[in-house]
Amino acid sequence: MSHQRPRMWATIIHGIEDPSPALKQSATAVAVLVAAVLTIVVPGIAPTNATFAIAGLSIVAIATVLAGIISRVDRLAGYVLLVPVIDLIGIGAFRAGTGGGASAFSALILLPVVWIAVSNGRRYIAIAGAGAAIALTIPNLLSLSLPTASLDYVRGLFSTVLFTVAAAIVNQVALQSRVALGKLNRLAEDKEVMLQRTVEYAAQLQESEAKYRSADRLFRGLWAAVTEQAVIGTDATGLIDAWNPGATKILGPSQDEAEDKMHIFEFHLTEELEARARELNYPPGETVLNPGFSALVELARLGKADVREWTWLRVDGTPVPVEVSVTRRVDEGGRTVGYLFVASDVTKQREVARLKDEFVGLISHELRTPLSSILGYLELMRDDEQHPLSAEHLQYLSVAERNANRLLRLVGDLLFTAQVESGRFPLDSRETALAAIVLASIESGRPMADAAGVELVSHVPAGELLVHGDPVRLGQAIDNLISNAIKFTPRGGIVTVALEAESAQAVISVSDTGMGIPASDMDQLFSRFFRATTATRNAVPGVGLGLTITKAIVTAHEGEMSVESEEGVGTRFSMRLPLVTLSAAAAVS
Amino acid sequence: MTFTVVVADDDQDIRALVGIASERAGLRVVASVGDGASALAAIRSEQPDLAILDVTMPELTGLEVCRQVRADGVNEDLRILLLSASVDDASKQVGFDAGADHFLAKPFSPRQLVAWLAVGKEPR
Repeated sequence: MSHQRPRMWATIIHGIEDPSPALKQSATAVAVLVAAVLTIVVPGIAPTNATFAIAGLSIVAIATVLAGIISRVDRLAGYVLLVPVIDLIGIGAFRAGTGGGASAFSALILLPVVWIAVSNGRRYIAIAGAGAAIALTIPNLLSLSLPTASLDYVRGLFSTVLFTVAAAIVNQVALQSRVALGKLNRLAEDKEVMLQRTVEYAAQLQESEAKYRSADRLFRGLWAAVTEQAVIGTDATGLIDAWNPGATKILGPSQDEAEDKMHIFEFHLTEELEARARELNYPPGETVLNPGFSALVELARLGKADVREWTWLRVDGTPVPVEVSVTRRVDEGGRTVGYLFVASDVTKQREVARLKDEFVGLISHELRTPLSSILGYLELMRDDEQHPLSAEHLQYLSVAERNANRLLRLVGDLLFTAQVESGRFPLDSRETALAAIVLASIESGRPMADAAGVELVSHVPAGELLVHGDPVRLGQAIDNLISNAIKFTPRGGIVTVALEAESAQAVISVSDTGMGIPASDMDQLFSRFFRATTATRNAVPGVGLGLTITKAIVTAHEGEMSVESEEGVGTRFSMRLPLVTLSAAAAVS
Repeated sequence: MTFTVVVADDDQDIRALVGIASERAGLRVVASVGDGASALAAIRSEQPDLAILDVTMPELTGLEVCRQVRADGVNEDLRILLLSASVDDASKQVGFDAGADHFLAKPFSPRQLVAWLAVGKEPR
């Protein structure tokens, strides 16, 4: 819209500078027509020679038609000066018909002369002068007589000079106005270009403003949407400068109450900050602005990830357990200018974890107590010397005892799994000789192997392989592997238990000639309560905790578990444990 | 003089089982109670040689009974055996810290308890 205005200005200026030939001609045509009407209407100036007068009018009419054609046909534009020249001939003829040299209409000559004279170039002064001379002399030429009276010469010469001078003045004025117009034109063009640029710039500005507004809306929306996590920004000294609705929900103060007024460490327990400072080996009594805050942001300041649990104090003094992630804020130069704290209230998670622990403890206690009675009284029965049991009854008793023990193991495994999950994994680690543990596990597996008709082969070397670990837990892990191998091996099969050293690791492997594990089950093998399809298909008893526990024990000893298996051929489980280094072992011996 | 024992467990069957084991070992059960407060009262009034206390009991836990008896300082010769369904070393240590002399994890073998008591009743 607005950017079309400059073009319109240029069009108007251009139009003034160069009106169409038809428009220029119209002035001459109208003037000649008025003159013709006057010769008819006014009695004193009737045509002296009607033929010449009409011929003159006709010639002007032809010039007018020509002007009309040139106006419409662009390629004839170069011939435009023919029009005033023909006009002058016509006017000359008209004068010849209306009194010759004494015609009252000499002034008509002025219009075509001016037309010619405004053209750009001094030569048009001469052309205009020549044209005026022709128009002035035509009456004499047509009467085929030389002017007799000196008046005629004077008139002819003087008028020609006059018209030429007028042409010169017009030519000069036209030149000046053309120069001025040219300047104006260039200015208008410059203005147009500048306006165009301004318009484009404004459009760009509008676009980027729209982008900014949309990003701003998104940011504000996000900021307001985070109602369950506290997002708090501080400067480098801990003074809060950003505070979201989640922060209000968790801690209490509104945005206005917190921003630029409170420090992040005001919400922290001093003891926790001090403990953290000690953990980071801050020299006691160090004279920094606020050692607690320094400890709080220590890792973030170094650009490291820092997520840990803290206790925050609400404004009313209530403690809230939170998990806080601290990151630093940097300026364009990469310098730390402040910190961002994103915190989640973990009250519920802690409550759930506590309830789970309580529940597991309770279940474990509630199941162990009746099992204690069952096993205890079964043993009393077996040991009752006054009423000895028959062989058959003793057999029944064994079945009951075996199943009660099975239940007891299951309870133990469940409790242990829960401890592993909650990260409370009691390990009583010490320097431990593996050979003894492996041999003990083989011996405790022997009755089961005999009952299953499976041969149990031992490859345990005499040398001592020492690891740092909990002998009871390690024994439990090896027991699990051996009893698994026996369970999954058909009668007549072989289970081989081997212990060897491989570089800095002890490798305990249990291989069987059993039914194997399908490849599709491999990646879930160590998941809790997972049972291989071959196990369920062959009705091998178990609940799917053994391998989970074994792996947890091995992992807790910084070891690795691996398994290779081929269905129908056999399976080999290996556990690798880091050996106590030779120098350490030598120091012990 | 018979070696006397106070048995405390909130589970009646376990209490009876411990009682039977004690008698088989030749001990005399002077009180068999189901909560910590009664256990504390019985120990204070009966002055037994041995107290067999379950850890998890109503009113007062076995650990609290332990601490109070040791705080009394009256019966210095009293030996305390704690019974617990918790098996880890940490809870064992808590028991010893409370003043217990022995720790027995549930489930226990009555046969072994009888053997242990029979040896333990001999004068030290």
